[in-house]
Amino acid sequence: MAIQSTVSFEELIEECNDAIATIDFADAQAWKNEGHTQALIGCFPVYTPVELFHAAGALPVGLTGAGNKIEISHADSRFQSFICSIIKSTLELAMIGNLDAFDGFVFHSICDPARNLASVFARTMNTKQVEYIHFPQRIPSYEAVVYLEAEYRRILAWACTLTGRSVTDEDLRRSIALYDAVRSAIGLLYDVRRNEPHKLSTLELYALVRYGHVAPPEKHLRILEHALEYVRARGGTPKDRARVVVVGSFCEQPPMDLIASIEQAGCYVVDDDFLLGRRFFTGGIADTGNPLYDLADAYVHGSVDSSVKHDLGHSKALSLVQRARDHRADAVVVLTAKFCEPALFDYVLYRKALQEAHMPHVFLEFEEKMWLFDKIKTELETFVESLLFS
Amino acid sequence: MSLIVGVDIGSRGTKIALVDRSGGLRGWHLARTRPPFEDLVENTLAAALAEIGADRSDVEHIITTGFGRSSYPGRDTQVTDISAAAFGAAAIFPNTRCVIDVGAQSSRAVHIDGGGRVKEFKSNDKCAAGAGGFVERAARYLEITLDDVGTLSLAGREPVTISSVCAVLAESEIINHVSQGCSVENILRGVHNSLAERAAALLKRVGIEEEITLVGGMARQRGMVQALVEMLKLPVNIPEVPETVNALGAALLAKRRLERAAA
Repeated sequence: MAIQSTVSFEELIEECNDAIATIDFADAQAWKNEGHTQALIGCFPVYTPVELFHAAGALPVGLTGAGNKIEISHADSRFQSFICSIIKSTLELAMIGNLDAFDGFVFHSICDPARNLASVFARTMNTKQVEYIHFPQRIPSYEAVVYLEAEYRRILAWACTLTGRSVTDEDLRRSIALYDAVRSAIGLLYDVRRNEPHKLSTLELYALVRYGHVAPPEKHLRILEHALEYVRARGGTPKDRARVVVVGSFCEQPPMDLIASIEQAGCYVVDDDFLLGRRFFTGGIADTGNPLYDLADAYVHGSVDSSVKHDLGHSKALSLVQRARDHRADAVVVLTAKFCEPALFDYVLYRKALQEAHMPHVFLEFEEKMWLFDKIKTELETFVESLLFS
Repeated sequence: MSLIVGVDIGSRGTKIALVDRSGGLRGWHLARTRPPFEDLVENTLAAALAEIGADRSDVEHIITTGFGRSSYPGRDTQVTDISAAAFGAAAIFPNTRCVIDVGAQSSRAVHIDGGGRVKEFKSNDKCAAGAGGFVERAARYLEITLDDVGTLSLAGREPVTISSVCAVLAESEIINHVSQGCSVENILRGVHNSLAERAAALLKRVGIEEEITLVGGMARQRGMVQALVEMLKLPVNIPEVPETVNALGAALLAKRRLERAAA
């Protein structure tokens, strides 16, 4: 199919990069001011059932901290120095007024700091609505889906109070189908990375996916579909690089220069868990006639492994080994945010499983505010050299 | 003559090793690192070649390493100082399983396999307290030459404790020790103990396994070597020219790569 747009791929990526580089959420505000949406709802990582908010007439906007664009001068008074960066920079955004246009915020039971952040937000932003989704902690239980459906019903009702609209099952189905299409397009781009990594850099893919954090899903889908056409038509031949799977950055995001450094060090990132919530499901969401149940069932039975989802009947570590093999990876890069307890707890299990499977790996830590990458780049280069020179 | 040139552009010194196609070290040369790096490398290389009666036409391949490895446009390939140190140490002491590389601005501990391949490594953070730059600052404050530091340190019988993790704060500690009347020998031994402690801590993180080889300019300081041996309670290999091990390792890695490409 011919590309209809006159916009080049580079311009497409530039548009995405411009949108995700700002921390004032101007595009989302404009979208609301123009009457395209009734409310803006800030969604903290990792996963949020954004379909509920979209169906209710709100624009779900991803909160991913502020990178190295602000100094933390207020949030330090609420959180200790041993708390990860995204918690403090997200709160800082709120305290300096960058989130004033938002109508509500949603947090989840992913870790203790995120749970506390919800409470601090509720007190700090006391004119805004703050909600908290309690995801099921016993995944194998039959009641997990039923429980989560009820939880989603509660959250949906809350979203409807923000927008002043009521939601039908048909509204929900439309939103689920739209986000399914977005996830499918992202999945196809990841397939390109896996099969022809020279056609799409990790940084380009990252920008395309992250754009969905700040753009309406309808627009995001168009961008992704255009990108897919461009990328498939790209030429080039693969270089002699190490194929790696990157895990551990599912919540706080590494600086984009650091993501670029991974490839500059001689790697092809053939899979990752950046912005994991944007591709949280292993397949499409079923339509059994009850969209809330279907969405809950997809979380319980059809979602990807995550350090913030606990399924005691399933080994995430062994799945990581299998995932690396499925992607024909030479190695795994465990790239975690400093002080990220879920990622660091899982690393203990990953390390053992990777060593037993003779899958090389390297462990690296980052902070969203870091701006010097020499040390981490040298470590990555050394790791790649140990793979390629052996 | 066909030469493979290993160039280690460190933060303080630039080292060149000339290796022939049989892997033999034909020559080496050291220079103070000063920009512009292109001139620095060309001049140092010219000096190294002249010392063995060779010229630029004998150079087959140039590989760079060290913090400035990307800064010399004339390189054919580059490799990190961690890989280079591992391969160089293993070439000199084939039973080496752990390498400690204490440079001017950073330190690294590397666990390697029998072929010199890196299995695991750790490097210190940006602070120079765990690196040779700290010793330079101490020597400057104590008004002694760097060449005398190792011998004086060996004479220290009651080493002072230097606990700061920051080179600037550690310098303040040294000033306090001087004002309290501590001897230069005991202060320098305290400095070496502090460095050895950090190096040993890095080594523990990658797993200590004999044999251990110390590379980098700090290996010339006998007090540092003694402090490390006492800290580890294990013998430590010291190369004849410890500053050039990374340049040598880089050159030997390039040689192996060229051979594989030709095969």
